[in-house]
Amino acid sequence: MSLVELNDVVKRYGQHTVLNGVSLSVDKGEIIAIIGRSGSGKSTLLRCVNGLEPIQGGSVTVDGTVVNDPGTDLRKLRQHVGIVFQSFNLFPHLSVEKNITLAPKVVKHVPSGEARRLAENVLRKVGLAEKIDAYPDQLSGGQQQRVAIARSLAMQPDLMLFDEITSALDPELVGEVLKVLEEVAREGMTMMLVTHEIGFARKVASRVVFMHEGRIWEQGPAAATLGSPRTPELETFLSAVLH
Amino acid sequence: MIREFTFIDFLYLLAATRWTLALTAVAFAGGGLVGLTVALLRVSALAPMRWLAGLYVLVVQGTPLLVWLFVFFFGLSIFGIAVSPWIAAAASFSIYAGAFLGEIWRGCLQAIPRTQWEAGGSLGLSFVQQLRYIIVPQALRLAIPPTVGFLVQLIKNTSLAAVIGFIELTREGQLTTASTFRPFTVYLTVAAIYFALCFPLTQWSRRLERRLHVAR
Ligand SMILES: Nc1ncnc2c1ncn2[C@@H]1O[C@H](COP(=O)(O)OP(=O)(O)O)[C@@H](O)[C@H]1O
Ligand SMILES: [Mg+2]
Repeated sequence: MSLVELNDVVKRYGQHTVLNGVSLSVDKGEIIAIIGRSGSGKSTLLRCVNGLEPIQGGSVTVDGTVVNDPGTDLRKLRQHVGIVFQSFNLFPHLSVEKNITLAPKVVKHVPSGEARRLAENVLRKVGLAEKIDAYPDQLSGGQQQRVAIARSLAMQPDLMLFDEITSALDPELVGEVLKVLEEVAREGMTMMLVTHEIGFARKVASRVVFMHEGRIWEQGPAAATLGSPRTPELETFLSAVLH
Repeated sequence: MIREFTFIDFLYLLAATRWTLALTAVAFAGGGLVGLTVALLRVSALAPMRWLAGLYVLVVQGTPLLVWLFVFFFGLSIFGIAVSPWIAAAASFSIYAGAFLGEIWRGCLQAIPRTQWEAGGSLGLSFVQQLRYIIVPQALRLAIPPTVGFLVQLIKNTSLAAVIGFIELTREGQLTTASTFRPFTVYLTVAAIYFALCFPLTQWSRRLERRLHVAR
């Protein structure tokens, strides 16, 4: 059974239909790159997967849990679904360690000593072991984003969502974050990532999903889909992002 | 019998200042409880609660504090409920401070970006956990300067309690004036005492505010 199952999902803001019948299934271990123009509904799609946005039609299922069911305990679901945002969203009043250990301690009741080791572990993974006692405003954008990834990893999720996590970074900082992402991918994490880094998508993703006007316009294996687009919309989009 | 304004009178004024401070403290504590409730309800996900808290603020901010003092002190006695000036003042000032502190603190809570809530929620934290560990600690830093500022207002406004016979600094000033007939000296002294209470707080609030801006 697939880990994520979107079935004819409809999402509206008032009269404005943002997702217009989106169906997608993601298997364990798959890495889905979601691409598309700004405003095509990519972020909304991700946010529906962990229940940050309620939907108006269709269904979203993650690991057998129906996300859009009002009876679903979203807090439980979110312990298994990590999300990393474009704007990092670290907690500015907490040290790197506390940023990472807050949820394990409060939500999973991991004891303090163990939580510290957990923080050390995930920080080593993102190459920031020495920053454990720093505060977010003492870190570069790239480092902050790596901490955000570490914070998400610390919950040991089964699925990770990444929403344009390199878009707010200076160009010279993008590489270090993508490297971490690649590392996470290599360890077999199931990932859905919205990105404008087409080269990265081609290299890492198992499948590419092209969103256009609130629909999945085209999808398929990364190399084939990006190499020979079947729709003029994807062709136009690709030529625009690749200059 | 008219007598001089002497050092003893000054001491009496200082003694009455204790009641100004006591009323301020009670109003701040009571208002703080009410205000905290109002602020939390105003950011809660439950629309009727938000609405109710909003209505409370609207009503209290739209009516003079003096009228509340009269309602509690004179109004309730109509129903045979004898209310001491202390109780009437404490209740009125708590209601009043609750509305204003509630608004101040709501503003501080809402000044924390929505993305901070989302980050907490996405990690599996409950509403209360998000408030406690993420939102309130950040809002607290923002809240201190305006809260101290309001405290200064509160100290000065306790003088209104004089009209229902609550003997605090201003009322003591009136009594002293009546027996010495030295309104200028007496009220200048009263003003000086208020200033001595408020000035350090105002300075403190300014310093906190400056520090907050630097930290940004
Ligand atoms: N909270 C919101 N309220 C109203 N409209 C929104 C909201 N969030 C997103 N939208 C609209 O939904 C559409 C899709 O947004 P989004 O999913 O963020 O697109 P993308 O991530 O592909 O750029 C846009 O037209 C955007 O203006
Ligand atoms: Mg987006």
